Amino acid sequence: MNSVGEACTDLKREYDQCFNRWFAEKFLKGDRSGDPCTETFRKYQRCVQKAIKEKDIPIDGVEFMGPNKDKPES
Amino acid sequence: FPHWGSSYHLYTTILLFFPSHPWETVTKAAMQKYPNPMNPSVIGVDVLDRGIDKQGRLHSKRLLSTEWGLPSIVKSIIGNSRTYTYVQEHTAVVLYKTFYILTLLLFPLQITFTNMVSVDEKLTYKPHPEDKDKTILTQEAIISVKGVSLSSYLEGVMASTISVNAGKGREAMEWVIRRLNAEIEELAATARGTIRTPMAAAVTEK
Repeated sequence: MNSVGEACTDLKREYDQCFNRWFAEKFLKGDRSGDPCTETFRKYQRCVQKAIKEKDIPIDGVEFMGPNKDKPES
Repeated sequence: FPHWGSSYHLYTTILLFFPSHPWETVTKAAMQKYPNPMNPSVIGVDVLDRGIDKQGRLHSKRLLSTEWGLPSIVKSIIGNSRTYTYVQEHTAVVLYKTFYILTLLLFPLQITFTNMVSVDEKLTYKPHPEDKDKTILTQEAIISVKGVSLSSYLEGVMASTISVNAGKGREAMEWVIRRLNAEIEELAATARGTIRTPMAAAVTEK
């Protein structure tokens, strides 16, 4: 599966692998002990946000997580 | 003559069962749904944001890039990027001590080529209350039409389109589940292969 930004596909795959592993082995088992993917996510995001701006993709401004938002612990 | 400001909502509820799949399997499949052969128009998936809220729910906001395959002559006139439709998807995964609930809320930005009709889908996966190896999917469609009254014929067309898509959605999930199980089988076979050698050595030593 590709990223919306062609240059971001490798970063996306790296992040997806990290997330899928954390999701299955930690989150679904109730383990909240930190997120090993913050750095890969940051790198991936920088690339994607740039691609979205360049392609002029309209992103809905609906508030993410709504009123339940809390700063994730790092 | 349509006027803005009022909207019409049509709710349809479809109940489907995923027999013989525990909720954990279905949830993992839901997070890795694309690519799958039942949704060939989804050509890109990106995570825009992710976080755990105060109640411990994992939220994800994703952008799906879809390409509806317009004839190449049309594409050559209007340009490649104009044939893409972007869909925003918001999912929330909730864990409660001994039972799990997953709610998928889909907010399509543009599911038709007019912006007078919008379709919001809500899919909820829950473990079957009596059988932990089964998952129940509830699918609701909320159709909003701005300022235009919907004839009952159009309602019928939309409702049957959504039922067909619900069936396809389930097929897609079954495909992803089979793929994930195959990967697990492969890993297990590899693990068995590595364990076998030292055990065989132990037996021959006797």
